[in-house]
Amino acid sequence: MTTYRLQVNGKPHAVDTDPDTPLLYVMRNELALNGAKFGCGLGQCGSCTVLLDGQPVMSCMVPVSVVGARMVRTVEGLGDARTPNVLQQAFIDEQAAQCGYCIAGMIMQATALLEKNPAPTDAQIRAHMSPNLCRCGTHMRILRAVRRAADVLAKGGKR
Amino acid sequence: MIQPRRKRHTGWWLLLAAAVVLAGIAFAIMWRPALAPQAAPPSFDQTSIARGANLARLGMCASCHTPDLARPFAGDKPMETPFGTVHSTNITPDLNTGIGAWSPEAFTRSMREGVSRDGHLLYPAFPYNHYARMTQADIDDLYAYFMTRPAIDSPARDNAMTFPFGFRPLIAFWNVLYLDDTPWQPDPQQSAEWNRGAYLADAVAHCAACHTPRTKLGGPDVKRQLDGGEAEDWYAPALNRNSPSPLPWTRAQLQAYLRSGIALDHAVAGGPMQDVVMHLAQADEADVAALAAWTHSHLAQAPVRRTPAQQDGPLPPPAADDPDLQRMRLGYALYANSCARCHDAGRDQTSGTALPLQKAIALYDPDPRSLLYIVDDGILPPDGEPARWMPGFRAILDDEQAGALAAYLRKYGAGQPAWPGLDKAVSKARAP
Repeated sequence: MTTYRLQVNGKPHAVDTDPDTPLLYVMRNELALNGAKFGCGLGQCGSCTVLLDGQPVMSCMVPVSVVGARMVRTVEGLGDARTPNVLQQAFIDEQAAQCGYCIAGMIMQATALLEKNPAPTDAQIRAHMSPNLCRCGTHMRILRAVRRAADVLAKGGKR
Repeated sequence: MIQPRRKRHTGWWLLLAAAVVLAGIAFAIMWRPALAPQAAPPSFDQTSIARGANLARLGMCASCHTPDLARPFAGDKPMETPFGTVHSTNITPDLNTGIGAWSPEAFTRSMREGVSRDGHLLYPAFPYNHYARMTQADIDDLYAYFMTRPAIDSPARDNAMTFPFGFRPLIAFWNVLYLDDTPWQPDPQQSAEWNRGAYLADAVAHCAACHTPRTKLGGPDVKRQLDGGEAEDWYAPALNRNSPSPLPWTRAQLQAYLRSGIALDHAVAGGPMQDVVMHLAQADEADVAALAAWTHSHLAQAPVRRTPAQQDGPLPPPAADDPDLQRMRLGYALYANSCARCHDAGRDQTSGTALPLQKAIALYDPDPRSLLYIVDDGILPPDGEPARWMPGFRAILDDEQAGALAAYLRKYGAGQPAWPGLDKAVSKARAP
């Protein structure tokens, strides 16, 4: 057991755990941040996507020991049910979830895109979102939701 | 008194004459006439078009000329070269921005000599030094195929060449050195299939464009055929006796690899090779089998050696007396906590199984570039293509961690001596 100091959604945390524990397990089991989901555990589905210093990573593949001082951001850091942020609102407006299991990862993947490129083309959205899978088949709605959020931002909407 | 003066005059005249002759030769080498435009493409028969479609796949034309799947063959893909950035051009039959006005003669000249219809010289990023040896029948079929694609309006983008390479006539001197248009000759000692493969590999699929090293002038180093080159800064492995592969390739593996990018328990296509596979998957199966037969005959020259790839199981922790113990421990921890999750899962072989890393060819390459790109960017199939998918670790590992992982895998995965200049390669591969 080692103590790791993590910065998650702007708040400091200290966690005692083994160095090979995936960041996903730490968030869900120690920090009660259950947005990111365990899907495949092999970095193949994207349902555990969070941001590490703004870059999307699959947290099931990130040993807690490599995180260091880098800022972790999860879907809980974006907004809540009463005050959803622009992407969360767009996913609600497009009803882009069926079972919802992949959606937190989808929203974080999309967050990384819109922060880097607030006006993506449809092709750029598709390419960027391609690591994240949805087994219910709401991909088309998900793409529309990202488009909608980008359009809101383009009209000067708030993040 | 007069004699010496006259002698000096003669010297100047000789020099001037020599300069005029040289300028004449240079002009003759560099200048090509424009060929008359045609008003509209002629018509073609369906079998010729179908043969051309197969040749276009074997030649991977779309790899450079179709960066946007919605605009087939409209060009506009930037290619980084040591001499600047070259943009691929529109090869749809659009009359103004494509090759619609190109007669069969103009098309043939571009394929064999690298000359545009209007007479300007094309950069050898377009591998006409290979197409020069295509049969005329194949060039005619390719012409039929391209002339029957939908015309797309897509003007050529200006290239960004470093001085003095923006001056296209200089390419003429490259052509003197490297353009070999001797017609391709079969080897009577070999089978018909081997010869078909040899022809396709050289004149159509231009394998050597990446797998043969290049000289400082960007031409093929013909003394080192298939001795390993590069593509988009990835190491393109040697296909001859210097093949880095830790296990000998079988022909069946090679054929499966060329068609699908996956040779079970042996190799997975990554980087620019994925694009090659995508096109070969759509080409005639017998032609790809012929390519595999020819390639395998070269790979089979590599001596069988003892490598860690012959042993299954997880990679070992570093030895306690390792002189670089701290770094190797970091590399091992990363291997065990990140890579081994998939690469040593001990699962049955399926299309989704990751290779045990002691079998990964990139660990045995003479330089670390391909391994670093795979670790950083993963293996991403081209848009919409079925293939292996490996997530990248660029955002997860910092430079020190990526370097330690590569150093560990090289030593304890492949059992090979350390890569010289690894740290520099890490910084270069990860430069923003």
